[in-house]
Amino acid sequence: MATTRALARLATRRTAVRPAVFTRSFASVDPISKAAEATVPDPARKAIPKSRTSTVKDPEPAKAAKIKTFHIYRWNPDEPTSKPRMQTYTLDLNKTGPMMLDALIRIKNETDPTLTFRRSCREGICGSCAMNIDGVNTLACLCRIPTDTAKESRIYPLPHMFIVKDLVPDMTLFYKQYRSIKPYLQRATPPPDGREYRQSIAERKKLDGLYECILCACCSTSCPSYWWNQEEYLGPAVLLQSYRWIADSRDEKKAERQDALNNSMSVYRCHTILNCSRTCPKGLNPALAIAEIKKSMSFM
Amino acid sequence: MASIMRPGLLRSACQNPAASQRMLSSFARSGIKRSSPLIHQLRPQFVHPTIPKSTRIAAFHVTQRQQIIPPLPQKIHGTLNDPVPVPNPEPVHGAYHWTFERLVSVGLIPLTIVPFASGSLNPVMDATLCALLVIHSHIGFESCIIDYIPKKRLPISRMVAMWALRIGTVALGVALYSFETNDVGITEAAKRLWQA
Repeated sequence: MATTRALARLATRRTAVRPAVFTRSFASVDPISKAAEATVPDPARKAIPKSRTSTVKDPEPAKAAKIKTFHIYRWNPDEPTSKPRMQTYTLDLNKTGPMMLDALIRIKNETDPTLTFRRSCREGICGSCAMNIDGVNTLACLCRIPTDTAKESRIYPLPHMFIVKDLVPDMTLFYKQYRSIKPYLQRATPPPDGREYRQSIAERKKLDGLYECILCACCSTSCPSYWWNQEEYLGPAVLLQSYRWIADSRDEKKAERQDALNNSMSVYRCHTILNCSRTCPKGLNPALAIAEIKKSMSFM
Repeated sequence: MASIMRPGLLRSACQNPAASQRMLSSFARSGIKRSSPLIHQLRPQFVHPTIPKSTRIAAFHVTQRQQIIPPLPQKIHGTLNDPVPVPNPEPVHGAYHWTFERLVSVGLIPLTIVPFASGSLNPVMDATLCALLVIHSHIGFESCIIDYIPKKRLPISRMVAMWALRIGTVALGVALYSFETNDVGITEAAKRLWQA
């Protein structure tokens, strides 16, 4: 029924007569562009004398410039012998967007194209632009520039990570750890009705606060335990994801997932320091997820 | 004095002539001269004129050169797409250990409060308190050792630290036992210290 209606609509639209002005067409036969050509003044024409023109005023003169200083960590792998350094940039905040990422992009566009950082979505969805801004791990795109120009901002890459360049950390180990927890649904039995794996509302609700994690690694790199034992301790972000699959009612490998964590290093290096929950730019609570893992494993 | 205590400070000061001159000028005028030809000959890069200001300050930053376990170069095991190896399940060091530790911690709370609240002295309760305290401190220190002395980097230090902890725990246990049997016991001792 719906398809026939849609087809009918399509057919009438095709046949409907529309004014030629609003249709797109090729440039050679476009009447609008021809009209535009006619309005462009002929270069051979004489200039209008000054007495017959009006003066275009400057829009509003720019207010007093708000110059803010940014100190940014720089290290270039092409010069392996030179030490990392802090480079200072100044920006007029009136001409810069409100977020730290805007400042970084403006520095890269206008001042120093060699500045390197990751960014993609500029709205806190991709997790690329995680860095340490004024001592807090956060996403540059979600971090407002403090308007107090007397205070200088300091931007570092994520702490205790190997650095690829400037603000780009090497996330290889982090992703390998994420892979080790098997972040996908493991299930052998087919669904009872042969269609979908169904969940009750309560079961689905357990995943709220877990599935939103974007793996920006802000929490893991703020955890002192992860700093000291990165090779063995999985870190808050990966453990939150692990709990996301342990808590999933559709997953059938809960026991195996717990066994993989049941040793002295993988989970139990968490000493509830809670830096992870404090720093999470998405407002999640990895410490709670780790506590739930410990709890579910202790009363098995 | 500080430089005697911390050789790292002295080293960093000597590496940076500008900084060392400033430091030594307060108590010795005849310190290392910046334009000393000997220094020029030995290590001319030390008197490089374009040292940024930040590194000159950093030379005084004592912690910078005193990393206890400096990070090794990055080493990736396997290909980029391999997961990190998953360790074998060891509930004795994992879940059971954690549950036991929590039970001990929770049990210590009433044991520390009750003797003082009730005012009565019970040798059995005193002995239990001592035993749990010993276990609690052992687990706490063990956790510190596991955190800060990685087995892969410092296997010998790890072993030494663990054995030192075990010896210390046994010594503490023996000391508390003799204190309980030959002396007044820790609850009474705490009470007397409180009133003294």
